[in-house]
Amino acid sequence: MLVTWKYRPRNTIVQRMDPRTRLIFMVCIIFALTIPEIWDYRIILPLFLISLTLYLLARIEWKDVRRVWLYISILVFFIVGLNGLLSGRGGPSSVTNIPSPVLFEVPIKIPYTEIGWDVPITVSKTWFALNQMTRMLCMAILAIPIPYTMDPNIYGTAFKRMGASDNVSFTMDLAFRFLPTFARDFSITLDAQRARGYEIDKLRGGLFARIRRLAPLIIPVVMQSTVTGEEVIDAMDLRAFGTAPRTWLKDLKYAPRDYVLLGLGVLIFIACCVLKWVFGIGGYFVPEFFTKFLVG
Amino acid sequence: MSSIPIAVQDLSFQYRTRPEPAIVDVSFELRPGELLLIAGSSGCGKTTLARCINGLIPRSYRGERNGRVLLYGKDVAEMKIPEMAQVVGTLLQDPERQIVASNVFNEVAFGPENLGLPREQILQRVDQAMNRLNIAYLKERETFNLSGGEKQKVALAGLLAMNPSILLLDEPLASLDPASAYEALGVFRSLADEGKTILLIEHRVEDALEAKPDRMLYMEDGKVKYLDQIRDLPVEIDHTQVKLPAPWVVQRVKALSHEKSSILRRADAEKGELLVVFEEVDFQYSEDTPLVLKNVNLSIHRGDLIAVLGPNGAGKSTLVKHAIGLLKPTRGRVLIEGEDTRKMSIAQIACVVGYVFQSPTHMLYAPTVREELEFGPRNLEFKPEVMHASVAESLRSVNLIGLEDYPPLGLSFGQQKRTTIAAVLAMRSKIMIMDEPTAGQDFANYTRFMDALCKPSNGTHSLLTARFASTIFITHDLDLAVTYSNRVLLFGDRHVVADGKPEQVLKDTEQLLRYRVRPTSLLYMNLELLPATGRFLPAEVLAEYIR
Amino acid sequence: MNDKNTWEFGTRQVVYGAIGAALYGVFSWATNIFPLPAAGNVTFRPAVAVLIFFGVAYGPWVGLLAGFIGNTLGDALSGWGFYWNWSLGNGLMGMLPGLAMAAIIDFKARSDIFKGVTWGTIGIAVGILFASLTEMFVGGIDLNTALLGYFVPAFLGNFVVTVILLPVLMIAFAAVASRRGR
Ligand SMILES: Nc1ncnc2c1ncn2[C@@H]1O[C@H](COP(=O)(O)OP(=O)(O)OP(=O)(O)O)[C@@H](O)[C@H]1O
Ligand SMILES: Nc1ncnc2c1ncn2[C@@H]1O[C@H](COP(=O)(O)OP(=O)(O)OP(=O)(O)O)[C@@H](O)[C@H]1O
Ligand SMILES: [Mg+2]
Ligand SMILES: [Mg+2]
Repeated sequence: MLVTWKYRPRNTIVQRMDPRTRLIFMVCIIFALTIPEIWDYRIILPLFLISLTLYLLARIEWKDVRRVWLYISILVFFIVGLNGLLSGRGGPSSVTNIPSPVLFEVPIKIPYTEIGWDVPITVSKTWFALNQMTRMLCMAILAIPIPYTMDPNIYGTAFKRMGASDNVSFTMDLAFRFLPTFARDFSITLDAQRARGYEIDKLRGGLFARIRRLAPLIIPVVMQSTVTGEEVIDAMDLRAFGTAPRTWLKDLKYAPRDYVLLGLGVLIFIACCVLKWVFGIGGYFVPEFFTKFLVG
Repeated sequence: MSSIPIAVQDLSFQYRTRPEPAIVDVSFELRPGELLLIAGSSGCGKTTLARCINGLIPRSYRGERNGRVLLYGKDVAEMKIPEMAQVVGTLLQDPERQIVASNVFNEVAFGPENLGLPREQILQRVDQAMNRLNIAYLKERETFNLSGGEKQKVALAGLLAMNPSILLLDEPLASLDPASAYEALGVFRSLADEGKTILLIEHRVEDALEAKPDRMLYMEDGKVKYLDQIRDLPVEIDHTQVKLPAPWVVQRVKALSHEKSSILRRADAEKGELLVVFEEVDFQYSEDTPLVLKNVNLSIHRGDLIAVLGPNGAGKSTLVKHAIGLLKPTRGRVLIEGEDTRKMSIAQIACVVGYVFQSPTHMLYAPTVREELEFGPRNLEFKPEVMHASVAESLRSVNLIGLEDYPPLGLSFGQQKRTTIAAVLAMRSKIMIMDEPTAGQDFANYTRFMDALCKPSNGTHSLLTARFASTIFITHDLDLAVTYSNRVLLFGDRHVVADGKPEQVLKDTEQLLRYRVRPTSLLYMNLELLPATGRFLPAEVLAEYIR
Repeated sequence: MNDKNTWEFGTRQVVYGAIGAALYGVFSWATNIFPLPAAGNVTFRPAVAVLIFFGVAYGPWVGLLAGFIGNTLGDALSGWGFYWNWSLGNGLMGMLPGLAMAAIIDFKARSDIFKGVTWGTIGIAVGILFASLTEMFVGGIDLNTALLGYFVPAFLGNFVVTVILLPVLMIAFAAVASRRGR
């Protein structure tokens, strides 16, 4: 078993961007939506389209992300979407406060008890659930492409150039160095224990016993790594690590396109704040066409 | 500034956590460009001495230190780390643990980066160091995928980029196949010829002689026993502690002559029943990687004691993993006692074949030795009485009595190794497979333990022949094959190149060289004496055939 | 070392931070491959015990870096994306147990193991709470969902794993450390 990164070099505009730009842009969008608490579909929808465009520009193959999408969809629909639909909470209080026609009622019963009640599904809650899912996807699809499109070797440098200390940034680099080593150690240990008749897919006993049975896999790898650590410390001390500010050979430079995206991100953030706080636009409301569409 | 690169004066050191000193009153001086070989058995203080010279002692390791180490007249304890780092470069035993960057270029640049040098200067130094070792072509590679020899050169380049004038090499050959080790020694020699002062720590003296050391320092229990020119036979050096060339051993045994070693009577392979059969086996790890095994045919019989030789990455481990069903062939079949491994569960196979992995740390986990040994039998659902009996028996056979309640992770490396072997013994399988049983151990240790396993005790059977129908070990140490096996497999180019009695397979030294196995003095001596002896023998025994 | 300095941040912390992160990343990723016991919507991440162990053994900075970087790497390997709040939450999860480091002298003593597990539990609670609560802003869920949908199952799973595996790791470490006193 070898670890393989999802990253693959592709000749796309997204990959040519500076990694910092993309992280900062993502933060801008998250802040733009969350800090001024934007719930207006007229703002959410365009932002979603921008994120979607960036996602599509990254040209990630569908087969790579299929599993992730499955997982994200379950999360978005079942946890976020259903929750919004049933409770209407999690957003602005106006979702449940404004009078809204009831579409139908869902009976809910606590299992093994007689307690139960009917939850009314209103137009407002429905709209909220839709809004909520779009809003969350808008942020998620900015996060998903990162492992596929950002060279893992650059993470440390990106940290450094965003102001982290030498030590913290190098920890990142060093972690990359050891990842494949430990993945290999893990598979050797798995083989060694299997050769002693240990079968991971046939863990027996109760929950506790089964978790305990993981010890033969985990202990050797972890203990080996603590011993390795002592030697790595020596090796680094002997090459003068941490005695002076380091020169980082790898460098990152912003190109004009980076400034464009960065500018856009900051602009969006400021615009959202201004719209909400100065003009009072961006709060939650149910557009008329939606009520009409559902209720007639 | 003095022109003497290293002056060690009455140096002693005791680790804070130890009751006895690790080195005692060591003194010597080196000239510029001198190559000093430091030899001695495990635990005699070689690494401690190195740590005193590169300044880790007293900086990182605490304890009581007496005496002085002067580098160009300056006391190590008073030098600053960046200054030290540019004077002494240290290559650790395992390059895998010394490499700190994920790609080669960054690894070589690591030291200069830490010194905070300007970019251009770093780039220039990196190029220089890589060109010096002829590894410029590796520049873009990931360090993880390098071979052992390449890793070591990259680690060395990382040191050279700091421009040190002293190099400390602590068992640099341990993870290399013999041919790569030979190349590395050539590089060390040429660095010394360029004026670098080199300390080479190595207990395989025979191999290290290829680097033509100017002098040799031999240590025992932290003390210097011998420090002088390399002569033919320094009597002070114990051939059971470090690996010496066969002629030296013979001379020494003759000189001492009081100990008569018992003649090894290895049971010859009279072909017994078939245990494992490989039928036209092909194997590849994944669809987009090349075949690792191609059309391998092989049968293992009762009574075989097989040594598997071959270059790094040839597929030896891959081959034996088929015999234990950890890997299943892509094409062809592997039969264990007539049954296809594809149809057997791991547990079923484990009853027949036991496999000892190279590094004990990859499998030790239990809080006590006893529990560690019970792990296998429990998985195989032994009855409690049977399990206790077999655990007790294996403890006895590898001499671990008294350590049953110790944590295996707290034992010494040699004891850990024996624990892993006992753990496999306790499973009472018929076939024993060991992957590089001697790697990472010192000579004295591994001969002791190979003797315990393979040498016939009370006349008839060795532990292995008594307990197992057949044994297979993979090794890079040709002498092990010469001394202990009754059948040799040379593996290379994805298939079995040669297979037969050691005397047949190993006589073709050209073929061996083609597969990166370097003939040793013991092999040459055995080949020479073969008409008289009729079989391969260890050097101590050969002494009787030489006048 | 007996004279442990909780807030030291030098080569040692960098190295063990990186090692912890790599291990946490690998184990988190590996549990995606191997089927593990699960009950209801409680998922088990045995890697968490390793993270807590690194905090307990090497201090708060190591725990923080191992958790933050390790989670980022694990997500990147599995391809989930980059979620800063969960990475930070994992960082806290490793950092708080690190506060116990100076108080732990004998890794196989019952009382010291108890300290480790207690601080580990605090770390898990705070770390997961942080991530669940920030999910309210980022994901726009309500407090109930944050607590019942995220916090409770993740906390329970991690807690169980830690209670079982952390003592085993600490005892094994005591043996390793006895051989290599520095
Ligand atoms: N970090 C340490 N803490 C305490 N004791 C140590 C430490 N390192 C080594 N020792 C002890 O000091 C003695 C000398 O060890 P040293 O590592 O110098 O031997 P060596 O000759 O290099 O052995 P090897 O061939 O196994 O590497 C041994 O008894 C060893 O157990
Ligand atoms: N798990 C794996 N996945 C993919 N390729 C592998 C794997 N294990 C080994 N290989 C490749 O298969 C080839 C044979 O490896 P193997 O470990 O069998 O060699 P070996 O003869 O045992 O070498 P060594 O002497 O270095 O132990 C090598 O090229 C190696 O890179
Ligand atoms: Mg040593
Ligand atoms: Mg191998």
